Amino acid sequence: MAKVLNNKIVNDLKKIFSEELEKKVKLLLFKVDDESVCEYCNLTRDLLEELKEVDERVELEVYDFNTDKDVVEKYGIERVPAIVILDEDGKDYGVRFYGIPSGHEFSTLIDDIVTFSKGPVPSLSAETIEQLKKIDQKVKIQVFVTPTCPYCPRAVLTAHHFALVNENIVGEMIEANEFMDLSMKFGVSAVPHIVVNEEHSFVGALPEANYLNEVLKALK
Amino acid sequence: MVFFDLEPKSTGPSKTEYDVIIVGAGPAGLGAAIYSGRAGLSTLVIEKNIEGGQILLTDVMENYPGYGLINSNELAQRFKEHADMFGTEFDYGEVVKVELAGEQKLVYLDNGKAYKSKVIIIATGASPRRLGVPGEDRFISKGVSYCAVCDGAFFTNKNVAVVGGGDSAVDEALYLSRIAAKVTIIHRRDKLRAVKSLQEKAFNNPKIDFIWDTIVKEIKGTDKVESLILQNLKTGEIKELPFDGVFIFIGLNPNSGIFKDIVDVDENGFIKTNEDMETNVDGIFAAGDVRVKSVRQVITAVADGAIAATIAARKYFE
Ligand SMILES: Cc1cc2nc3c(=O)[nH]c(=O)nc-3n(C[C@H](O)[C@H](O)[C@H](O)COP(=O)(O)OP(=O)(O)OC[C@H]3O[C@@H](n4cnc5c(N)ncnc54)[C@H](O)[C@@H]3O)c2cc1C
Repeated sequence: MAKVLNNKIVNDLKKIFSEELEKKVKLLLFKVDDESVCEYCNLTRDLLEELKEVDERVELEVYDFNTDKDVVEKYGIERVPAIVILDEDGKDYGVRFYGIPSGHEFSTLIDDIVTFSKGPVPSLSAETIEQLKKIDQKVKIQVFVTPTCPYCPRAVLTAHHFALVNENIVGEMIEANEFMDLSMKFGVSAVPHIVVNEEHSFVGALPEANYLNEVLKALK
Repeated sequence: MVFFDLEPKSTGPSKTEYDVIIVGAGPAGLGAAIYSGRAGLSTLVIEKNIEGGQILLTDVMENYPGYGLINSNELAQRFKEHADMFGTEFDYGEVVKVELAGEQKLVYLDNGKAYKSKVIIIATGASPRRLGVPGEDRFISKGVSYCAVCDGAFFTNKNVAVVGGGDSAVDEALYLSRIAAKVTIIHRRDKLRAVKSLQEKAFNNPKIDFIWDTIVKEIKGTDKVESLILQNLKTGEIKELPFDGVFIFIGLNPNSGIFKDIVDVDENGFIKTNEDMETNVDGIFAAGDVRVKSVRQVITAVADGAIAATIAARKYFE
């Protein structure tokens, strides 16, 4: 198996994980084997296998999108490759990656792993947390990204941290190139492009308070 | 090509009060961080996105000394690692407010965190300027873009316009020519302002065309961009040409909004400094693209940062 991550990244990761990780973190990968159906599924599996090798606190479970129907349904997985992050106790907070977390989004995945290992505790202001807690309906925040977009990780992390606060919220990274049909459906041609509940959308990595306002708009 | 960039935001800062706070981790901020850390000052860099700033808006750099041709992500990462070497700490979030409290400066982030310092170095850089024509706002992420490396892929085999004639415009047009079917540079003068080597690459690129002496009057379409209304400045002639997308690189706006009421800025919002990078306020410096200057490049941004941190160390901590 060709290595996905180069030695420098592996060494940097070893250092980060040994300094930062506390509790175990569980990654669930949903995939299919057929590369003509899913170009990046096998590469994503290799990537996560290598992450698991770096530190034993990172655990991995791989599911088949077609045959593991009950698990697919339990986590509401819509397409592959998909990654779900769970805390040590297997609790799902609604943090999702659709498409390979490559480019700058690789850092997003690592940030999430560290966050989950330490709690997870959302890194948000008290006011934002208070407002998010009040949300009593389902909210799906889909953040369309490309791997080369330097503004995108922040937009994804904000959605993920929002999801940590309230079980009603799901925060998804969506790699726009891999899911062009979905990108076209929502008319995405500049990223980060954020779609809330498939209705309201906004563009750009907004500061936390503005981001929250945009999310709340979809609920009115 | 699949690549993996590791710039995690996980190693949090150790305290809330520093000698120096640097706002922005572009070349200016990271240059300042190296000098400030090396001068023995406790230093915090606050960045809202990832380290590198506008370096990350192009795929390779060919004019930063010592590297020849270097991948932009790699250059950004090397800057960051160099700053790490001297114990600089980092935190992530957008600085939304700065207050003066006697000698102290208070810095507030969008995620509710707050820090104190004696010195602030503003290194927030600049963002692409908008055209300010009808249709521009409406069609953002519907064909209007300001970042070729971010959004180029959406225009695979499409027909795109690039507005502008400087280094960034030509750089981005070259980048897009590898993805799009056709790239048309629309420029309001009769020659490019970009450096000769970039010009030659553009002129020799069979996918790149030019429309000279022309400005964009309007961006049109129904659900997404379909055409541009163009006006020739010499003849006055107005015409409509079909495009699937338009990338706008007509210059920069300083990211100085939150500092405008504290430090002096020029009519375009760029922060005024003396040659030691000092603003009119004691203990507040500005470095890089955010300040009034005539050459905005990585090398000059890094140099500004070095000057700001060195003077800060001499003046406030000796
Ligand atoms: C397409 C393109 C190609 C280029 N090519 C070259 C080239 O080949 N060679 C060259 O030398 N130069 C090039 N440049 C110019 C060069 O990138 C800039 O001059 C340089 O990056 C300026 O550095 P800076 O640190 O002043 O600002 P920036 O690079 O803009 O960095 C500012 C940083 O501050 C952060 N920030 C802003 N506001 C806040 C806030 N409120 N809170 C927290 N963080 C904040 C931003 O996220 C950013 O990371 C190019 C520019 C572009 C756009």
